[in-house]
Amino acid sequence: MNMRKQFPIVALALFLVLPVVVHEGFYLDLLLFTFMYAAMSVGWDIMGGYAGYVSLGTVGFFGLGSYAAGLLVIHAGIPVFASAPFIGIVTGILGAGLGWVSLRVRGTSFVIVTLTFASVAQFLMLDLRGITEGSSGLLLPLLNLPADQVILPFYYSMLALLVVAVLVSLAIRRSKFGLGLIAIREEEGKADGSGVNTSLYKILAFAISVSFAGAAGAIHAQYLNTITPDSEFELVITLSVIIMALVGGRGTVWGPVLGAFIIQPLSVYLIYLAPSGIAGQLHLVGLGVILVLVVMFLPNGIIPTWDAWRNARRRPPEVDVPGTTLPEVAS
Amino acid sequence: MNAHLLIQAVVLGLLAGGVYALMASGLTLIFGVMRVVNVAHAAMILTAAYVSWVLFTTFGLDPIASILVVMPAFFVGGALGQRFVLRHLGNRDMTLTVLVSFGIAIILEGLQGSIWSSNFQAINTSYAQSSFAIGDVYVPLVRLIAAGAALVVLGGLFLLLTRSNLGRAIRATTQDPRTAALVGVNVEQVTMIAFAIGVSVAAAGGPLLGVLFSFYPATQWLWIGKLLAIVVLGGMGSLRGTFAAAMILGLAEQIAAVYLPLDWAPLVFLMVLFGVLIVRPQGLFGSVARESL
Repeated sequence: MNMRKQFPIVALALFLVLPVVVHEGFYLDLLLFTFMYAAMSVGWDIMGGYAGYVSLGTVGFFGLGSYAAGLLVIHAGIPVFASAPFIGIVTGILGAGLGWVSLRVRGTSFVIVTLTFASVAQFLMLDLRGITEGSSGLLLPLLNLPADQVILPFYYSMLALLVVAVLVSLAIRRSKFGLGLIAIREEEGKADGSGVNTSLYKILAFAISVSFAGAAGAIHAQYLNTITPDSEFELVITLSVIIMALVGGRGTVWGPVLGAFIIQPLSVYLIYLAPSGIAGQLHLVGLGVILVLVVMFLPNGIIPTWDAWRNARRRPPEVDVPGTTLPEVAS
Repeated sequence: MNAHLLIQAVVLGLLAGGVYALMASGLTLIFGVMRVVNVAHAAMILTAAYVSWVLFTTFGLDPIASILVVMPAFFVGGALGQRFVLRHLGNRDMTLTVLVSFGIAIILEGLQGSIWSSNFQAINTSYAQSSFAIGDVYVPLVRLIAAGAALVVLGGLFLLLTRSNLGRAIRATTQDPRTAALVGVNVEQVTMIAFAIGVSVAAAGGPLLGVLFSFYPATQWLWIGKLLAIVVLGGMGSLRGTFAAAMILGLAEQIAAVYLPLDWAPLVFLMVLFGVLIVRPQGLFGSVARESL
């Protein structure tokens, strides 16, 4: 277990110094997108993994965050690196509002509302032409940096976002709040009966969960410079975030991070392999197939499956010292 | 406001509502029996629309007639999908089943895009532009035909569910699968057939969508939003409720279009969806949802 504890710190140190050694834009770009997806996936998992409520609307929050950041740069001159944290918070408040509508009752309305929200958010950005320029999109001013350094602020902000996401997820996992969320996933009626304020917990978890998508969208807007309803509301974003959490292990802190480091390079490779005209379409098919296969054959994800396999082999079982291992995940 | 415009909107709204009712009824049926929100429903409808478009452009088969081709084909596809994918998920976490249907929606969208491109398509029949007038009210022929076809299929579905043993078994499974099994219903088989019927009814909606609207693969997300709003308003799982909700939303959309630009219709649906969830989460006709303890 000790190695597992040190590994993230070593990896973080490595990623911090990496841009000094590696100058190829391709690798830094790949890593910064991996960080971005990992952060959003960790966020998604707070709701989808801990509380067991699946959101299909991640990209709605990402896209609105992106447009908010774009408008703030253009009209108020506030750089995205300054606005991103606030956009994250405002996105969280928006998430709380949606949660208030859909989470007070148990069951399926949450999935329906998040899904509908994402398509309506995209539609609004397309149709409020006076503000968003419709399908031609917004053009953000370029950063005033030499070409070989322009990627660095994005690389480090996405890394910082990931670190914050993981720290928040860890803190929740070890708190009474986190236990309440897991109780909701396992048996919501009983959680309610034992004094967990289920509605409040779910709404709060969802608010925290989507704030990372909003902040990621904000930074992404400046990275692309031109944002359109198509680029910022790409279905692939929601899809990737979910697949990453599932592959690595739903309801674990590190699962979504592991999933992102597996799926994002794979995605880039898939797009590179496919014929260029329909690469985007085949990418969708590929990710969709991965999603269905993972749900069917690896529903618990890599980390919980690996842990279960190792624990089954080791006899007598390791003594579980409270606080050193994460509680067993069942789903 | 002008009474003439209002009557016109009511006529168009009822015609659209009939088609919406058909599209949403499969979703309701599947939710009723399996307690699963079939996120892929609109993607299935669009797939049928593409098939109908191909049959029309290559063989000249009328899209309304192609309903007779797509319904059996999708029935078989639905039965196989339920048997070999969904049943495997068994009683595992419902959220996982939702994710599978999300995955299927995305696979279908990607396949449609790679086979038929992501550009707009439409089925332009010879009667697409014809219309006639009753007094001052103008009735587009294609909408009348589509609403008529939708009502025929819906009528068949209604008869099947209320007048046959299979229908009784399906309704019993919807109400309580365990008790249904106790009185001798083969719940697994009935679930498979009900799912297949739901998919097949969705397929009937495809050609109608194709003659009424232009479409491309990603339009499935606007459609699924509309259909889910209808299903929620109708009370999840209630077919009568779905029918009434489809009519209400069809009317609301057309009447709103008198005041707002027509492409704002999705907002009408979202506002209705939110309004229902805030004021009456069980929908118009729904009772508080069954829940396993």
